[in-house]
Amino acid sequence: MSDDNHRTPLFFKGGHLAAEDEPVLFSANVLVEDGKITRVGEDVEAPANARVIDCQGKVLMPAMYDVHVHAREPGGEAKETIAACSDAAINGGVTGMVLMPNTIPAIDSSAMVQSVLDIAEASSRIPILTSGCITKGRAGKELAGIAGMHAKGVPVLTDDGSPVSNPVVLRRAMEYAKDFGLILASHCETMELSGRGAMNEGAVSYRLGLPGIPAISEEICLDRDIRLAQYTGAHVHIQHVTTARGMEAIRWFKGQGVKVTCEVAPHHLIFNEEDIQDYDTNYKMNPPLRTAHDNAELLQGLIDGVFDVIATDHAPHTEFEKKTDFVSAPFGITGLESAVISLYHYFVKLGKFGWDLVVKRYSAEPRRLIGLDPVPIVEGGTAEFIVFDPNATTTFSRDFMCSKSVNTPFLDQTLDGQVWMVLREGEILLERN
Amino acid sequence: MTEEGLKPRKDLLDIESLDLEEIEFLLKTAGPFKELFSRSVKKVPALRGKTVLTLFYEPSTRTRTSFEIAANRLSADVTNFGVSTSSVVKGESILDTVDTLQAMRTDYIVIRHGDSGIPGLVAKHTRASVLNAGDGYHAHPTQALLDAFTLREVYPESAGKRVLIVGDILHSRVARSTSIILNKLGVEVSVLGPGSLVPPARHTFMHAFTNWGDALDWQPHVVYLLRVQLERQQEQFFPSLSEYHGVYGLTNRRVEILRQKGIYLMHPGPVNRGVEIADDAMKYERSLINQQVENGIAVRMAALYWLRPGTDERGGDS
Amino acid sequence: MNQPELTQECVLDEAGISGKIRELASSILEACRDDPPAAFIGIYTRGVTLAQRIQEALKEPWPDMQLGTLDISLYRDDLDNLGSTPVLRHTDIPFDIEGARIILFDEVIFTGRTIRAALHELIDFGRPSRIELAVLVDRGNRELPIQPDYVALTLDTTMREYVKVRFQENDDKEGVFLLRDSSK
Repeated sequence: MSDDNHRTPLFFKGGHLAAEDEPVLFSANVLVEDGKITRVGEDVEAPANARVIDCQGKVLMPAMYDVHVHAREPGGEAKETIAACSDAAINGGVTGMVLMPNTIPAIDSSAMVQSVLDIAEASSRIPILTSGCITKGRAGKELAGIAGMHAKGVPVLTDDGSPVSNPVVLRRAMEYAKDFGLILASHCETMELSGRGAMNEGAVSYRLGLPGIPAISEEICLDRDIRLAQYTGAHVHIQHVTTARGMEAIRWFKGQGVKVTCEVAPHHLIFNEEDIQDYDTNYKMNPPLRTAHDNAELLQGLIDGVFDVIATDHAPHTEFEKKTDFVSAPFGITGLESAVISLYHYFVKLGKFGWDLVVKRYSAEPRRLIGLDPVPIVEGGTAEFIVFDPNATTTFSRDFMCSKSVNTPFLDQTLDGQVWMVLREGEILLERN
Repeated sequence: MTEEGLKPRKDLLDIESLDLEEIEFLLKTAGPFKELFSRSVKKVPALRGKTVLTLFYEPSTRTRTSFEIAANRLSADVTNFGVSTSSVVKGESILDTVDTLQAMRTDYIVIRHGDSGIPGLVAKHTRASVLNAGDGYHAHPTQALLDAFTLREVYPESAGKRVLIVGDILHSRVARSTSIILNKLGVEVSVLGPGSLVPPARHTFMHAFTNWGDALDWQPHVVYLLRVQLERQQEQFFPSLSEYHGVYGLTNRRVEILRQKGIYLMHPGPVNRGVEIADDAMKYERSLINQQVENGIAVRMAALYWLRPGTDERGGDS
Repeated sequence: MNQPELTQECVLDEAGISGKIRELASSILEACRDDPPAAFIGIYTRGVTLAQRIQEALKEPWPDMQLGTLDISLYRDDLDNLGSTPVLRHTDIPFDIEGARIILFDEVIFTGRTIRAALHELIDFGRPSRIELAVLVDRGNRELPIQPDYVALTLDTTMREYVKVRFQENDDKEGVFLLRDSSK
């Protein structure tokens, strides 16, 4: 079949195209031949041998790229595998990703990087990069094998899941890693302030009687890490920003010319602490859901361009692990399969922002961040795009989801929009009836 | 039927979810139960043949005994499901335990747990009625009911009365549940305690005082002392137990002021003498502490009487 | 509880009730002349009213008749099957019933289950020498071997009919009514 796909030209007829920095969609037919986009235009005709795909009412946009994914392999295969994770990515319109290194054992050496890349090579349908640890075993004490991991193509170092609590260690890591052009990604948390917290500290945590994680736990660490980057000249990437104050600090430091980039997760835009009704552990993640005010401010920051990228922090956990009390349940929710649809449902559909923002922040900029080329739908470009149907709906049922885990607030919920088709190098990775 | 009644619920998990009619029903029903205690036969057959299981992941002899007596006086069969408190008990194994209890055809489960939300989790996985006997910092609904009942005994017209809750508001499920029930009944609630133990994001109806002088100027009708967990001092919430006693405790001098003003004293027990309360204050004539204990049995009987196992699946009517 | 299409027939009006209460009082007086009862105990709600009325009617021969009240909710055998949990009223027996002759009052006797519960509850207070039962209406259809000692009115009814006694003290009007579900 896939050979046939390569040979048979694909003609996407009558769709609307989205591109970064193009606030208005434009109508165009798209011809794909031999994995390349050969023609784009309203008056382009289908060649006689082409398969014509009716895209009336649908939106074509560059495929997404996620720089923050926990594929759990090795060590957490009950939660997720690289194979399932890549299927989940495709299911959500994502055709490339950077994995986090908090596997068991952690990805803290060139050998571990190689073994993950080997698994990906054998089982993933999309290209995968992995990040590496800053410190050995993510213990925050000794630096991991940085040069070796860099040599294997690691673009980012992070101890994600934990901060590097000792500022001396992080300082050394930054000073050392910057010469390799590596990005240091920070999970910002002051562990002493987080304590055994399970959700945002505030009125809701008080009401539910749950130990809280105060916003300052994140903000103090975020401040510290950016100042270290400012001081050392390293590129720091702040992961999953959740607070308005943290975001404002980043905005200010960016103005100072500090090499800082940052990401926001869809769930931190959509949900807040008030959604944690009835101790539903599918709303438990770290950093936690904050307040409605933060939702609004983060959204504005995304529109303003404070956030360089959207990333899901896809963090699968088994139903067994999540089916417990809120304090004992592990942090994290899945996101790859719901990201584009939820961004459409909650924002694009309501006119909060356009598809151009989604393309920029979840497709183009993530690729640029780690040194890849974006994949715009232009003549001569690689055919790596998705066809989105805004008139269809998606129900996030167990059957629908490809991830091995179903720990998402969207479980069994129906949202507007559907990832209808996914292409990479001209190959149809996903096609719904 | 000529009897007027109230549709039962399956579980009693917190005060927040009860409406005023339900609270009033429970308080009203506790009265006749308390009258039973002065009869020679203190037992009624309402729950004959039913099984009540107590499941205490945090040790509390008082609360457990109170529930056991309540269940016994309703003629239920009561068993304590011995939970090892020494071993670490995780949420997963709780659901396993619930399956076991389900297989034993338990009708009522009385549960106390150190983590908030566990009784609700258990309730979702069993047909048995679940009574929350205290979960984490979250809720202790029967304590709240007995506090409200006790307040009504001294002030039958409780609306508009003022209750000052003193101590560790942050870590207290009692403060949460009791303040909510008092608020629902129209009682004004204020709090007093160290700044480290009075969270700013508390319920908005609770005004916070920072010292006894201001708090007593507010003219409370009842001072409600909370138990101070000794480990809070090790966690640096306040410098020392003696400093706590001096600044926030009910000292002998402050008892004297309470006496002059005719203010009642409540405490959920057990008390830490010399910390939140001076030794002599235990003999204070307007102390309602023992009354609270007795009323605890009556409101727990009312709760057991009202709840109906399996109600949610079957619907209330038959 | 919705009551669809009930037809209502008044079998005893206010004056009729007064007459029946006088008859009931005199038959109690007649039977107990030599051994007056120590107390009347009414079963909530209208049994209490009935007991009060009989106490009032017999004020002259027995000026010191004690009155008790009984709420049988906790002794019911059908608590599990009720749509709602009954409100408890004050069971008030402020006297010693040990060795005493007691007359129990209820407005209607039907299956006998209420009386069964009342007897059980009463005996938890002590051991009376004798317990008798007085009712305004006996509507038959007994499910237990319990019979009243004093009856003012006997009605032949079916299980589909309801007998409703209304007293001024408890209801807006007074009378004995036979309710029938006409939809069946």
